[in-house]
Amino acid sequence: MKNIKNTKMELSQETMNVGFIKKVEALSGSSVRRCFQCGKCSAGCPMRSFMDHPPNRIVRLIQLGQWERVLAGRSIWYCASCETCSTRCPNKVDLAAIMDALRKLSWDADGPSKESYVQLANKLFINNIKQYGRQYEMRLAAVFNVKSGQFLKDLMLGPKLLSKGKLKMFHSKNKNLAEIEKIFNRIEEMRKNGDAP
Amino acid sequence: MSPTKNVLNYSYYPGCSLHASGKEYDESARGLFKALKIGLQEVPDWFCCGATPAHNVDELLSLALCAKNLELADAVEGDLAVACAACFSRLKTTQHKLGENEVKRKQVEQAIDAKVSLDKPVKHLLEILARDFGLENLQKSVKKPLSGLKIATYYGCLLTRPPDVPQLDCTEAPTIMERVLETTGAETVAWSHRLECCGANFTLSRPGVVLKLTGDILASAKRAGADCLVVACPLCHGNLDIRQKEIEEATGEEYHMPVFYITQLLALACGVPPGKLGFNSMIVNPTPLLKEKNLI
Repeated sequence: MKNIKNTKMELSQETMNVGFIKKVEALSGSSVRRCFQCGKCSAGCPMRSFMDHPPNRIVRLIQLGQWERVLAGRSIWYCASCETCSTRCPNKVDLAAIMDALRKLSWDADGPSKESYVQLANKLFINNIKQYGRQYEMRLAAVFNVKSGQFLKDLMLGPKLLSKGKLKMFHSKNKNLAEIEKIFNRIEEMRKNGDAP
Repeated sequence: MSPTKNVLNYSYYPGCSLHASGKEYDESARGLFKALKIGLQEVPDWFCCGATPAHNVDELLSLALCAKNLELADAVEGDLAVACAACFSRLKTTQHKLGENEVKRKQVEQAIDAKVSLDKPVKHLLEILARDFGLENLQKSVKKPLSGLKIATYYGCLLTRPPDVPQLDCTEAPTIMERVLETTGAETVAWSHRLECCGANFTLSRPGVVLKLTGDILASAKRAGADCLVVACPLCHGNLDIRQKEIEEATGEEYHMPVFYITQLLALACGVPPGKLGFNSMIVNPTPLLKEKNLI
């Protein structure tokens, strides 16, 4: 995908993807069209300074069918799911749910966004559930460092936490592990058959 | 005379962090509930609720994991007590969404191959203490008042937001933590960052984000004259306690501000021995403060 960020936005029937609006609304269960750009979501967003597009602009871009701009940016991956926007919206636009929907669309399209660290962390977290049933923070952090090539990240924290007994070296077997795997498999099957988004 | 039988009984979902980085939350919650004669029975072989990463990219998976955990919890008697704010939020969200959306409920039922059961009330520990056990009873149970301690209560995101889901307290001006802590005689300060986000799970992927947000939180608590912070979420605790030294290095400010789990201070006030409250596991050492206030 070419760097869409620096290209001028031109609105026409060809460039506005109305299907995308409906897709986001269906996935999130929230209206996108109700937003009248008051900006409350961005005013309260703790992550806005890390985003390329603030939350209210994300909604506007969806309204204009500009899905490439939305998914190519890093804003959706820098949302912390703190729910401040959804709490304060005067029009009951559930922006936190919309962000979930956008991340899923981006995730399913194999992440056109460049925000790879957050996606990697998500992937490892979900893999941990599938493999062990629970999170083991040390394993999560160690694998993240290896896979992201940041071998020295938080190097000093490990021994400190170990000495406080805060990291488990070994974990107990979960009796429901087979059950968890079945859930993952069923969901995959449902998606193959078109029974689930 | 205090009754010998437990007055209240709950099934208990600790969540992953409470078995590792947040173990002092688990220890102190169990200690407190024992002292108050409230029964807690852990749901056997519960699994991860999916937390933020699951719902971030896969809502169906997130709902299915929580629905399965709710099914497991059904086997244990009593309302479901949850300690972690994130697990609490995910379980409540699942009940909320599946209760109002039939399409999603059918998908989840197919995924877990069982009927979803949404009837068991899911309650955060705070709710149990403030509503079920009651503030008056809590006040009566205090053996060692925490007078002289100035506390900044930190709610973070998921205890109160979004409005229709946790229903723990008001979303923008909650007081439940203050009300619970004030039964011990401690003072709670008015401050600006009670409800701001700590950066949560960015601690793994983008620690810089966490340092910025938690730096603001600590600065605000210090400005308000607090001696310590009190939290009810293992992720908030990790970001404020474990990363506090890094925050000090990044901002050039010195805080040395202990971050307690609310159950640690309540249990201390209710006479649970300090050795059982995991104070040694905290990275910012709380002993000097507790000694200065004659609490240990």
